[in-house]
Amino acid sequence: MDSVPVEQKDPGWKLFGRVPHRDGSVKDPHKIHKEYESKTSRAGPGHSPPSPRQTVRKNLDFEPNSTTALILEARPANLPAKPAEEAQKHRQQYEEMVAQAKKRELKEAQKRRKQLELRCKVEESIGNAAQTWNQEILPNWSTMCNSRRVRDLWWQGVPPSVRGKVWSLAVGNELNITHELYNICLARARDKWKSMPTEPVTEGSSLADREASLELIKLDISRTFPHLCIFQQGGPYYDVLHSVLGAYTCYRPDVGYVQGMSFIAAVLILNLDTADAFIAFANLLNKPCQMAFFRVDHSLMLTYFAAFEVFFEENLPKLFAHFKENNLTPDIYLIDWIFTLYSKSLPLDLACRVWDVFCRDGDEFLFRVALGILHLYEDVLTRMDFIHNAQFLTRLPDHIPPDQLFSHIHAVHMTNKNRKWAQVLHALQKEQEWISPVLKR
Amino acid sequence: MIMMWFCLCPLFQVLVIGDLGVGKTSIIKRYVHQTYSTNYRATIGVDFALKVLNWDSETVRLQLWDIAGQERFGNMTRVYYREAMGAFIVFDVTRPTTFEAITKWKEDLDSKLMLTNRESIATVLLANKCDQGREVLTNNGVKMDQFCKDNGFVGWFKTSAKENTNISEAANFLVKHIMATENDFLKSVVPDTISPKLNDSQPGTCSACYKS
Repeated sequence: MDSVPVEQKDPGWKLFGRVPHRDGSVKDPHKIHKEYESKTSRAGPGHSPPSPRQTVRKNLDFEPNSTTALILEARPANLPAKPAEEAQKHRQQYEEMVAQAKKRELKEAQKRRKQLELRCKVEESIGNAAQTWNQEILPNWSTMCNSRRVRDLWWQGVPPSVRGKVWSLAVGNELNITHELYNICLARARDKWKSMPTEPVTEGSSLADREASLELIKLDISRTFPHLCIFQQGGPYYDVLHSVLGAYTCYRPDVGYVQGMSFIAAVLILNLDTADAFIAFANLLNKPCQMAFFRVDHSLMLTYFAAFEVFFEENLPKLFAHFKENNLTPDIYLIDWIFTLYSKSLPLDLACRVWDVFCRDGDEFLFRVALGILHLYEDVLTRMDFIHNAQFLTRLPDHIPPDQLFSHIHAVHMTNKNRKWAQVLHALQKEQEWISPVLKR
Repeated sequence: MIMMWFCLCPLFQVLVIGDLGVGKTSIIKRYVHQTYSTNYRATIGVDFALKVLNWDSETVRLQLWDIAGQERFGNMTRVYYREAMGAFIVFDVTRPTTFEAITKWKEDLDSKLMLTNRESIATVLLANKCDQGREVLTNNGVKMDQFCKDNGFVGWFKTSAKENTNISEAANFLVKHIMATENDFLKSVVPDTISPKLNDSQPGTCSACYKS
C-alpha cells in the first residue's frame, strides 16, 4: 500500500487542509494537467493526447511555489478521528510532498548558483583575456598579431583595459606624429583661438576659417555623446576633445574640422591619453576611405557606395531589390555610419567592438558591419517602405544584441565573383565613368 | 500598421536646412514627437521623420528631411533636394552669421530645384531660438517681411523649439502653400504635358526612360 505512488490517488491531504485559498497552489500537478487536458479536449474534439515530453513541460509550468509552507495540521476535534492506518498514510503523503518541494527548491538554488558561476566565468575570461593581451600578445606584437589565436581572441572583443593600446598598435603611426608635434599643433590652435574675436566670424572670412572656427567645434563638442555628460561645457573631457580637434585643424588645415570627427575623437579620448588619442586620430583619418569621406570627395564616396552595393546584392539580393524599388540609396544610411565609424549609431560598447576589428581589418570591415546590420534586421526592413526604413537605419534600435550582430557580420561573404573588397573597389575606381545604377540621378 | 505605411494619401517631402546648430533637429523633434531636449546629437548626413496631419478631412503625410548643416556637406546632401515639395530654412536669432547664411541656403536650394512652372518650391524662413531674448534681427517685422519678399520666401516665423512657439503654425503655413503650388502646378502643366513627350519619343528609343 505504501508503495503506491501519490499522484495516482486522489490527494487525501486536501481533506485536512485548512487553508482553502491555497488549494490552487498545492494541487497535484498531474491533477491540474488532467483537468487541463479534459478542458482542451472538450474545446476541441479529436485533440490528441500530448506526448510524454509535453507532459513534463506542463508539469514544470505548473510548479507550485508554496508547497514547503504546507502545514500538516491535526484533524479538528469536532470530526470523528481518522483510522490510524489512514492517518499514517496521510502523514506519509505529506512528507513525500514536502520532500519533493525541497528537492525542487534545491534544484532552483543550484540553477541560480550556476548562473552566478557563468557570470563569474565571463568576468574571469575578460580578466584572463586582458592578462593574455598584456603579458603575451602586446610584448610580442609584431610576431603574434596575425596568429590564428590572436585573431580569434580579437574577434571576441578586446578587453577595455587594453583596448586603447591595441587600437594604437593596429592603426599604427605612418605619419610619424610625436607628442611634441601634437603640442606644437595645440599651441598653434590656441594662438589662433585667442586672436579670433569672441563673436562669430565675420562675413569676409574664408570658408576654411569659418570651418576651423572655435565656435563650430564648440557647437559640436557639446553635441558629442551628450548622454555621457562628459564632453559638454564644464565636463571633464570638454577641453580634451576641444584640444584634439583644434590641433587637428592646425595639423591638416586643408581638411579642417568636419562633422563626425568629434565622435571619432571622443571614442579615442575615452580609451587613450590625449596625445596618443591625437596620434591615432590623425592616422585613422589618413586612411584612404576616411580621407575620401572627410574631404567630401563626392565621386570617390560614390565609388565606395557602389562597391558596397556589389556586396549588398551578393549577400542580400531580396533586400537589395526592395531598397532599389523604394529608391533607398546606400548613402542615406552609410554617410552617418562611415563618418562616425558607428560610434553615433551603435551603443558605445558595441561600437568599440566594431572599432576593434576595424582597426585590424580596415575600411572593408565598416562595410561588412553595414551588411551585418542589414542582415540582422532583414525581415523587418523588407516589410517597410522608404521613410520607415530610412528612419530605422538612421536611428537604429537602442538595444542591439552584440553577439547576434557579430554572428551576422561573420556570415557576410566579402567576395564577389572571386574578387575581394579591395579588388572590387579598385575596379570601380578604374572605371571612372561607372556610376552606381541606384545613385545615378 | 503595415497598411498605413503603404497608404496612398498625399506625401510631401519637406527639407529642413540651415547652418549647423541652429536647431533643425530640435524643431523636427518638437513638431513630430512633441518633445524637447538639449541633448540632441549633431546630425551627420540626413535624418528622417514622418508627420501625419489631418488636413481638410484628408490625411497628409510630411516626410521631413533633416539635413546636416555643415557647408562642407553641400555636394553630398544636395542630391536630397531633388524631390522636395517644400522647405524650411532655419537660422538662430542669437547668431548673426546663421542669418547671413540664409541667402546662400536659398540660392542653393533654387539652383538645385525648380518646379516645372519655373517657380521655386514653397520655402518658409524660421527665426529659431526666439526664447533667448536676443532677437535683435527680427524685431523689425517690416524689414523681415521685405527680406522674405526679396528672397522668395513665402513667409517667416519666430520659433522656439524649446518653448513650442509657432512650430505647428509654421508647418501648417508651409503645407497650405505646398497644396496651393501643387494645384497651380497641375493647372499650368496639364495643357501641354502630352505633346512634348509624343514628339520626343521616337520608335526604338528605350521605353524605360520614361518609366522612372
